Amino acid sequence: MLDAMLEPAPTAVPLDANREALLRLQSIGKSYGSTRANHDINLEIHAGEVLGLVGANGAGKSTLMRILCGVTMPSDGTMRLAGEPLDLAAFSPAEARRRGIRIAWQELSLSPNLSVAENFYVEQPQFARLNPLWLRDYHRLAKEALERIFPGARVPTSQLVGELSIAERQMVEIARAASDPQLKLLILDEPTSSLGAERSRQLRSFVRNLTARGIGVIFISHKLSEVIDISDRVVAMRNGQVVWVRQAEGTSIADLVDAMGGAGAAQERLAREHVSDGEVRVRLSGDRFGPEPIELKSGEIIGIAGLEGSGQRDLLAALFSRKPPADIMRNGRTRYVSGDRGYEGVFPLWSVLDNISIGRIARRSPLSLVRDGQERPVARERARRLALDEQRLDSNILDLSGGNQQKALVARALDEDADIILLDDPTRGVDIAAKGDFYRLVREIANAGKLVIWHSTEDLEFLQCDRVLVFAGGEIVAELTGSDISEEAIVAASFLQPKKPPEAPSEGRTRVIATALRAIPFVSLLAVFAIMTSINPLVASTFGLELLLAPAVTLVLIALAQMFVVGGSEIDLGVGGFTGFINVVSATILVASPLLGIGALVAGLLGYALIGFIIQARAIPAIVVTLGASFIWMGMGQTIQSSPGGSAPSWLAPLFNWSLWGLPTPLILIALAGMVAVCLDRSPTGTILRAFGSGTRALERAGWSPIRYAMLRYVIAAAFAMVAGLYVTATNHASDINAGASFTLLSIAAVVIGGCQLLGGFIAPLGVVAGAVTLALIGALLASLGVNTDYNAAVQGSLLIAILALQALALRRRKNG
Amino acid sequence: MAESLAFLRRHRWVWPLIGILILWAALTVLTSRFSLYSLSGIAISSSFLLLPAFGQMLVITTGRGNIDLSIPSTVTLAAYVSVMTSDGTNAGFALTLAAVLAIGLGVGIFNAFLVLVVRIPAMIATLASGYILATGVMIVNARIGMFSRAPLHGWLSTGRVGSLPVMLIIAVLVAIAAGFLLSRSAYGRQLFAVGQSQEAARLAGVRVKRIIASTFVCSALLSSVTGLLLSGYAGGAFLEMGTPYLLQSVGAVVLGGTLIAGGSATAFGTLLGAMLLVMIVTTMQIAGLPPGTQDILQGVVIIGVLSLAGARMGRSSS
Repeated sequence: MLDAMLEPAPTAVPLDANREALLRLQSIGKSYGSTRANHDINLEIHAGEVLGLVGANGAGKSTLMRILCGVTMPSDGTMRLAGEPLDLAAFSPAEARRRGIRIAWQELSLSPNLSVAENFYVEQPQFARLNPLWLRDYHRLAKEALERIFPGARVPTSQLVGELSIAERQMVEIARAASDPQLKLLILDEPTSSLGAERSRQLRSFVRNLTARGIGVIFISHKLSEVIDISDRVVAMRNGQVVWVRQAEGTSIADLVDAMGGAGAAQERLAREHVSDGEVRVRLSGDRFGPEPIELKSGEIIGIAGLEGSGQRDLLAALFSRKPPADIMRNGRTRYVSGDRGYEGVFPLWSVLDNISIGRIARRSPLSLVRDGQERPVARERARRLALDEQRLDSNILDLSGGNQQKALVARALDEDADIILLDDPTRGVDIAAKGDFYRLVREIANAGKLVIWHSTEDLEFLQCDRVLVFAGGEIVAELTGSDISEEAIVAASFLQPKKPPEAPSEGRTRVIATALRAIPFVSLLAVFAIMTSINPLVASTFGLELLLAPAVTLVLIALAQMFVVGGSEIDLGVGGFTGFINVVSATILVASPLLGIGALVAGLLGYALIGFIIQARAIPAIVVTLGASFIWMGMGQTIQSSPGGSAPSWLAPLFNWSLWGLPTPLILIALAGMVAVCLDRSPTGTILRAFGSGTRALERAGWSPIRYAMLRYVIAAAFAMVAGLYVTATNHASDINAGASFTLLSIAAVVIGGCQLLGGFIAPLGVVAGAVTLALIGALLASLGVNTDYNAAVQGSLLIAILALQALALRRRKNG
Repeated sequence: MAESLAFLRRHRWVWPLIGILILWAALTVLTSRFSLYSLSGIAISSSFLLLPAFGQMLVITTGRGNIDLSIPSTVTLAAYVSVMTSDGTNAGFALTLAAVLAIGLGVGIFNAFLVLVVRIPAMIATLASGYILATGVMIVNARIGMFSRAPLHGWLSTGRVGSLPVMLIIAVLVAIAAGFLLSRSAYGRQLFAVGQSQEAARLAGVRVKRIIASTFVCSALLSSVTGLLLSGYAGGAFLEMGTPYLLQSVGAVVLGGTLIAGGSATAFGTLLGAMLLVMIVTTMQIAGLPPGTQDILQGVVIIGVLSLAGARMGRSSS
């Protein structure tokens, strides 16, 4: 079946001008408040055609693509797919996929905590079979899809995506979208941004192959020569509108640049051949900065160029740090302006005024007064200098366009006492007109006697600089001055080899640490067990194990419940209370009135589903909701039964009390619980649950419902905790609402010791089982050593802190290594 | 209409105020027992809650899901230490005060160390340190003797100036200080900046780690002082003394309109939130609800308010 779907269809669709378009957009528009992201877009894509799409940042390409694949609902207009009108209200990502529209996103929509094959499942769930070995099909699908598009790439399909290189990830993203046998329209959003020339050529030849099968392709790229090379027609967008449609043949790059809004303003070189005689603000004297020390002076604009990630941002970070490294001399105060406004720039709750004045306030002593009357004139003056409308000082910062937000961030940095202004790709996502303003501004700042150090990802911008330092492999490989600065020179220098090849991160050691962390729960389990056996040899007997492991079963189950919540990067503070609640219900109501009791248990499950719903739908931190819920569970338990007591239903005990091959029952129960957890985690559903742990956006775009899976996650957790509660009732023949509370911390400790990470959706069921048993045994060990049980909590708490500290240390080393 | 909505969005403390008025009206109408005297009882209970609630508010405002779960253990331990170090004289009270503040400082620094240096998520770090402190409580619990309260200690926690309880005056002073700190000082701005975006705050020049550390230290200090005053009020210390302050400190902050996601807080709101929460509890006690039901209702109220308010930052940033 898989072979069939990977083979190209034999019939090629002949080109015919009069045929119905594959996809036809009529006056599509999309407004966000007063901004029109898309306006009156009329466009058609034919089967077997490659449509190139170009436009400056912010031209509306991304919005249009999100509309095409059902992520965003347009405000106006209609869409027809193969002649059939689409109901736009019901046009979801899932519906788009069902109709054969696939997209490879520029910002990559892969889940880093899933393997390559599992990522294929996320996007193509329709091939999953009810079979324990279901993932094998996906390994094959992934391998074949990758090999077909990028012959020789050899991306390992069992590797976690997070461990792949950026180019490999991009190949996976493309192959995944293109592997749909129902594919009708493939959208490639900047598909070659991280690919080398050869891979890019392979991709283009694959696209040709697709069109021969009658599939339409939309190819979005900033690499204009590639667009012209691959496309049949090219569309240019500007200000949310389609402004230009033409056959690719006979179109030149200059035509496209013109159509996109002209780089005329941007390209204008504010040439200035001069040797600055300002004060030396920065001296770079290390080996990595070349043979001669480099001096950067007041009044200069210094460009920091190179391929992305060659050490440019490290230099900026070092210059901004409180104490620069020994080979960087800094004389003067620095300010930082980031182009990653959403993450590193704006304070979203604040007005423009507050966003500007924080720059002054940040460096004041904590108890000094802040007065609006003092800040406003300063901010107004700066706004005026930057041609930022003063009327907007009281608007929320997010109401401003990207370019104006950036102006506010620059205004923040315009302190009198600042000597060095660091610009980190400040024009990202800023439209071309605003860029022109911005360049003029940077020159003004430099003229005012400040040193400007400017990192950009757009080589064209370096034409605005007095000098450009080109990085490669973490070193400065070239310094260009004045008229030597050109796009070609920078690109040529970027590919220079540094003298010393950069040291490859010590993969070996990283892997050793990772393996060691994974082994912790098992090693410590063996160690604790060995110590206990050496103290009392009877421990290793069947009876000893039975006695020892019986209390561990509860913790194993609760820890597994906690693990599924942690798999979603959340924490359940109510799991102990819930277990106690189930314990009480099953020892009281379930005995007296089985029907009512079962009703109460089901209500408990539904309660957990509701918790999952509230957390996801209202975006409330899980910790607060589950903390509140823990009081609800405990309160209900207390209301049902105010002091310990009760009994077990007669049918309950046999459920947990049987024997197999003379093995101790608790051992079998623990193994069983572990197996169920592993199977769940490795099942298709478990894969999606884990995928949600690394973020919801990509999954949502692939058509998975975050709310449904959040509810499912909590119901699974509740099911494990419920079994734990029933087990306590069955073995103790009584209940105590307060007995459950201590399990909350223990379950988190077990999960952490077991090798799960609290963020990112990395979980390890078997490790958790081993960790939980270890913790339970430690309690018994302390008791057998005669340690007061009062110390248990402290020992467990300290153990948790110690293991987390170890993990943090290992992670940091991995990052630095 | 739109203006009043904007007013409500900016001044989220209006909601708990409305809640308080409604509840007060309802109580006055429903029970003849409810008088000005019970209002003073509410004021004292809220005063005790207010101190840890301010600490919790500061920690929550640093964002990233930060929360201080070690508050109850700190309160309890401080109460025990107050009882143990007290010798009945005002001179001895100085030692008690020093010991209690030392505990607060120690716990706060330890929490900050775990969160900032070891980089353990705050909820886990404070949960774990809370357990360690709980063990400390168990150990001292075995050795606790008679409590001879210093006169000054007694005056602080139960005394009155005119008809005003001293405790209420303390709480109001702390509230004014917190209000000033949040809305008028550079510290408040820096804290709100950190809570909205740590990276942006760092790049704007805020000393992010120092701010975060200070919130944990403040929280632990306020909790330990609460323990001190509580022991004076109750005339002793007992194991579950601090337990209510876990949920209630979060509850007061949430009801008061502080954003659970961080970046925006209101001291006045937290004051009203604490009062509202204490009134809810008092109402339940007057109504004769068993403790279990009271727990349930508190949990429901907090989750309910959060669900209604939502935790999304003022607006989505996309």
